[in-house]
Amino acid sequence: MIAEDKLAEIVGAGNISREQTTLEEYSGDMSFVNAVKPGCIVKPATMADIEAIVKLANETLTPLVPVSSGPPHFRGDTVPSIGGAVIVDLSGMNKVLKVDRTNRVAMSEPGVTFDELITAVAKEGLRLNMPLLPRRSKSVTGSLLEREPVVMPKYHWDIGDPLACVEVVFGTGDMFRTGAAAGPGTLEEQWAAGGAQKEAAGPSSFSLYRVIQGAQGTMGIVTWASVRCELIPELEEPFLVGSSKLDRILEMVHWLIRLRLVNECFILNNTNLAAIMAKKWPGDYQKLKGNLPPWILFFNIAGYEYLAEERVSGQIADMTEIAQRVGLEPVQAIGEIPASEVLKATQRPSGEPYWKLRHKGACHDVFFLTIYENLPGLLDAMYDEANAIGYPISEMGIYLQPIVQGTNCHVEFNLFYDPENREESARVKELSERVVTSLMAKGAFFSRPYGTSTGTIINRDAATVTALKKVKSVLDPNCIMNPGKLCF
Amino acid sequence: MALEDYRTDMEMCCRCSICKFVPLEKLTEMRHSYTCPSIARYNFHTYSGGGRMGMGVAMLENELEYDEKLLEVVYNCQVCGACDISCKYAMDMEVVEPINEIRIKCVEDGHTLPALDSVISSLRKQGTMIPGAKANRGEWAAGLDVKDITKQKAKVVYHAGCRVCYDEDIWKIATEAVQLLKVAGIDIGIAGENESCCGGRAYQMGYKMDFLNQAKKNMEMIKKSGAEILVTGCAECYHAFKVLYDKFGLKNDLEVLHVTEYLARLIKEGKLKPTKKVDINVTYHDPCHLGRLGEPYIHWEGKPVAGHIRIFDPPKEFRRGTYGVYEPPRDVLKSIPGVKLIEMDRIKEYAWCCGAGGGVKETNPEFAGWTARERLDEAESTGVEALVTACPGCEQNFKGAINGYGSSLEVCDIVELLAKAILKGGQ
Amino acid sequence: MALKRELYQALVDVVGPENISEAPVILGSYAQRGRPKFEAVTLPKTTEEVQAIVRLCNRFGVQFKASSSGWGAYGDAGAPGVVKLDLRRMNRILEINDKNMYTVVEPYVIYAQLQAELMKRGLNCNITGAGSNCSALPLAAHQGIGHLSVSGSYGERNQLALEWVTPDGEIVRAGSLGAIGQWWCGDGPGPSLRGIIRGNVMPMGGLGVFTKAAQKIYHWPGPATFPIEGVSPHYRPNQIPPGFMIRYISFPSAENLSQAAQKVGESELGFILMGFNPGMISANIATNNNEDLAYLKQFTDSVQGPGFLIIMAGNSPRDTEYKKNALQQIINDYNGQPLEAVENPENAGGFMWRFIRVTSSIREVARASGIFAGEVGGTDVFPLMHQYIIRSSPVKQRYIDEGKLLADGTDPFVQSVEHGHAGHAELLIRFNKQDPESMIVAGEIAQFANKTAIEGHFGVPGHAWGDAVHDQYGPHTLNYHKWLRKIKKTFDPNAASESTNYITADD
Repeated sequence: MIAEDKLAEIVGAGNISREQTTLEEYSGDMSFVNAVKPGCIVKPATMADIEAIVKLANETLTPLVPVSSGPPHFRGDTVPSIGGAVIVDLSGMNKVLKVDRTNRVAMSEPGVTFDELITAVAKEGLRLNMPLLPRRSKSVTGSLLEREPVVMPKYHWDIGDPLACVEVVFGTGDMFRTGAAAGPGTLEEQWAAGGAQKEAAGPSSFSLYRVIQGAQGTMGIVTWASVRCELIPELEEPFLVGSSKLDRILEMVHWLIRLRLVNECFILNNTNLAAIMAKKWPGDYQKLKGNLPPWILFFNIAGYEYLAEERVSGQIADMTEIAQRVGLEPVQAIGEIPASEVLKATQRPSGEPYWKLRHKGACHDVFFLTIYENLPGLLDAMYDEANAIGYPISEMGIYLQPIVQGTNCHVEFNLFYDPENREESARVKELSERVVTSLMAKGAFFSRPYGTSTGTIINRDAATVTALKKVKSVLDPNCIMNPGKLCF
Repeated sequence: MALEDYRTDMEMCCRCSICKFVPLEKLTEMRHSYTCPSIARYNFHTYSGGGRMGMGVAMLENELEYDEKLLEVVYNCQVCGACDISCKYAMDMEVVEPINEIRIKCVEDGHTLPALDSVISSLRKQGTMIPGAKANRGEWAAGLDVKDITKQKAKVVYHAGCRVCYDEDIWKIATEAVQLLKVAGIDIGIAGENESCCGGRAYQMGYKMDFLNQAKKNMEMIKKSGAEILVTGCAECYHAFKVLYDKFGLKNDLEVLHVTEYLARLIKEGKLKPTKKVDINVTYHDPCHLGRLGEPYIHWEGKPVAGHIRIFDPPKEFRRGTYGVYEPPRDVLKSIPGVKLIEMDRIKEYAWCCGAGGGVKETNPEFAGWTARERLDEAESTGVEALVTACPGCEQNFKGAINGYGSSLEVCDIVELLAKAILKGGQ
Repeated sequence: MALKRELYQALVDVVGPENISEAPVILGSYAQRGRPKFEAVTLPKTTEEVQAIVRLCNRFGVQFKASSSGWGAYGDAGAPGVVKLDLRRMNRILEINDKNMYTVVEPYVIYAQLQAELMKRGLNCNITGAGSNCSALPLAAHQGIGHLSVSGSYGERNQLALEWVTPDGEIVRAGSLGAIGQWWCGDGPGPSLRGIIRGNVMPMGGLGVFTKAAQKIYHWPGPATFPIEGVSPHYRPNQIPPGFMIRYISFPSAENLSQAAQKVGESELGFILMGFNPGMISANIATNNNEDLAYLKQFTDSVQGPGFLIIMAGNSPRDTEYKKNALQQIINDYNGQPLEAVENPENAGGFMWRFIRVTSSIREVARASGIFAGEVGGTDVFPLMHQYIIRSSPVKQRYIDEGKLLADGTDPFVQSVEHGHAGHAELLIRFNKQDPESMIVAGEIAQFANKTAIEGHFGVPGHAWGDAVHDQYGPHTLNYHKWLRKIKKTFDPNAASESTNYITADD
């Protein structure tokens, strides 16, 4: 354990806490991981602080757990797995460092939330390709590092998008910047030359940002991230399509994305759309849900600087042809939900309380990647397991997000439950653990394993585990970075 | 020219591998995308056009000994020219010429294969490339009412070629060709028993002196006959007379036609009228020596211009297969009522070789058969009933490969189909 | 230095006697002239055979190097004592998935074959700029940036799951492949091993063997087969398919070009967008070097400055019309001027198909003299990459004036990637390789390029490979070379994977 005085020399005594209530806050989260109390919380202000902390942690073999977002946390990745860990809380590093309209990129520290960055980039006519209604306290950097799915598949060329470069302090205590940010030159020198820290790959023949993403803080601590931005459209026309026939919706989604007709594009079941759009609980929610078909596709057609109207009207006509061919009807409102309201909702983080918590107070997400042809089998597998365990399917939220320009589909089952009700909690915990194996058998790839199912997922492939451990041995040889996560 | 004269060409090779594939602009699917039988069969880069370029330079530098493997690589190549065509889509360099020169060098250095020696021995003794031929060369024409050019003058001499003369199964390629030309009123004669090998295949095998000897002998006979046109039904012979004899300044003013060129011309002029219906779906195999290698020889003498781009003074026009004989055979087929032509994937300048050329049939019948079977597969994939070609060498090799292969494809020559449509009793 | 007989026999046992050779005539053809020869060439057919070969090399302390179509000089060995794996027999397309838009190939499928099969299904792929004669494995190319990159991205980012025989002979199946045996995701669980196996350039044989890989594919709005007529080398389509349009626009300045390209990107108009210079356009259309020089003069005289070629492909008549109109507005806004020779119907179709099928890169780089060199930028933001290469233009001009390089102009060749989100640029030189002064110039331009990148802060370019160059860049680039070395050492403990063109573990 790092001595407190040494930590105080780095961050100042006021930025260290051993208060019991504070420690309790970081001991657990809304997932089902075991509660483990950290030794202390530190709040660094600079990259140099973090370098020093990591170097000290190496000397004393003290586990470090980086945290960027504010609570509530859901995945278990910010809960220490080992006692005596130091939580490195980055929420105080909250500057937007740069917004670059020409190169469509912005750079921010880990403590910057979506609201803050959205506002900053909007001043330059830019916007983020963001996840679906993240919680208010969610860190943009955290989301990028988690490879969270984003709502505009057209602009999601690669699964790592929209993350560009990062500055990181590896578990060795060495600072590095990935991609174009590595240099040559300091950031200022790069900016003077016209550099923008946007090219994620490299330098040269590796792309270390990819092993930092998805690592749950086990490789190092990121001190800023740059994010690829898109343009704010001049004109937007959102639509909703409701149906009980998911196969038709998927066919339409395939073509909308394939022909690059739409920006935002995702599918929700009625439970989730009602949960997102309800203003007053529980009345609104029940009423909205009652008027919704089982599946709702949302998409948005947009035009930019040149001939926006011609583009949008042409794309609407092309979209309509697809819809007719498939046998679906795009509309501007379903039930009492206008598409324009859905668009507005998805272009900002969730209001408070976080939409997933409004229904019952807690929610556990079971999510993975797949492809369209696997979906029917996967839904059946989930329904079967839910039925077997007594979780009401009608209460389950489902979110289908095509990503990587339609190459993959993120599937998310939102299991709402009352955290005060032990039976419900236990049921959701058991369901979320049991269902993993059935889902993998039907073509679910748990690319982002969290919590209690991690072992089931990650140990399927020994060769990948061996390779990951080799990477870990390079970037964090003393295993001080968030030990106990993934296969580390 | 000698191998050394192609050094710069060979050194131009940048190993891009297009010599292994059909011209990429024309590639329409995965199968039938290879163009070189040699590397398709043996896989090592050395067997490709590009690999042979490197081999040629290494031989000039005396880096390679004449071991068994080198000779195996050198002679497991039909010298079909497909690599040359694909390469010259993009590059200004010779490929098939230095490949042939490598063989010439091997022979000059005293290194060849026993099977080839046997063939050349037959050529030297009997003027034929078919060793152990029992039949007489002129037997195919027995009963044919046609002039003997060694005794009478004729405007047109028909050259049957070694392959036809010694294979009774395909005599009718020659007999029917002569009959058709006579129907068209052509003043035609043959050398019959006195016909001698054109020497073309000897050249491809590397026996340049033997080729030249044959060429001089043949041209003397033709000159004496007064013939102005030589017509042949064999693509290899066509290539020999038209291209090689011209290359070595021996062709003079002789007009050389393949029988399909002549027949197409005669049909167009109305001198031949295919009237009888021949109901059959066919595909056409372009023989290498009629197609891509059959374009006229271009005489050029000049020097490279010093600088950073390979140009010559005077400018050198490369033979790229553009002017091979592709349309006349097709025109003949299209003129026959009832014949429906369905093309294969690899046609014209990038047709897949039948497998027989370059001495491969003699030195490695297994490879020749393999190459033929690849082509037969391709023909079958079109769903046709017959594979039609315009070279007895191709026809023989296909027929040989079909035996024991379980294919119902018929293999025949264009002349046979046209004969059915014109000659009495031809049906 | 022949291989130990025990090793050679073991290799024979793995691949069969027909698929291995140490005959001098075979070995000679696998090395560029003057480069060290391999000790043996093997032709494995399966991943298991590749693994067996790699393990044998590890066991016997011998290096190995794999290649597919084998064009690049980086397929060569740096020293004797290396076993070559020629992956020619691994030549299957394993899967094409229309709905989720990915395909899986083995290393010796070439891009022409893959594109031909995809087009039949209304699909397309980005083809590496070197040409469709190259391997369709996105991990085979040096970079994998291609003509389609403006709408079809490039190798590093089109990569999905992959199968990798590591330098010490393990088989790693990354992403969904290892987890559930499906090919559509290359990342996870957890961190992505894609981050180790390549950056914007590949390790080029120095980090094991990639035996199969999946990549993203894209929509193809054209016909199942392009209607090509003619006989080599005069191929052209008998019509331009509906919805397709090709234009070449020159601009009064590099700045105008850059901004116009950005606007085209932001409007998402381009199917193909390439900042070709007149030298590349002329080489592309010419069927021989004399024609090339004539066209070069004609095109150089016809343009007002640097330009780009754009092919647009509408997914519908409305889409086509919108793109056409929007492009014209951008051209007007940035004072662009069309090059009639490209756009006239005589030539347009041929240009279009050569760019879509990427058949004429060989004409552009190799026909003149059989060799090319130059400066190959990395990928980064478009204006930066453009600026980087432009700095070398005066240097190239000087050498042209001194008669040491072919006078083919000094405009860089720039590419837009992902609708202008990134860019790539190169300055290529062609010269007589028999001229020792020209060879020196090639080295000097490389040195100048490195100096510019380091002192001007232009990133680590694509032509940076090998210990010496990494050691040159590393200290200015946060010592990335030390991390790269550690990766190499960790994954290749026996230094079995020949890495002259990657990095070695030696500090």
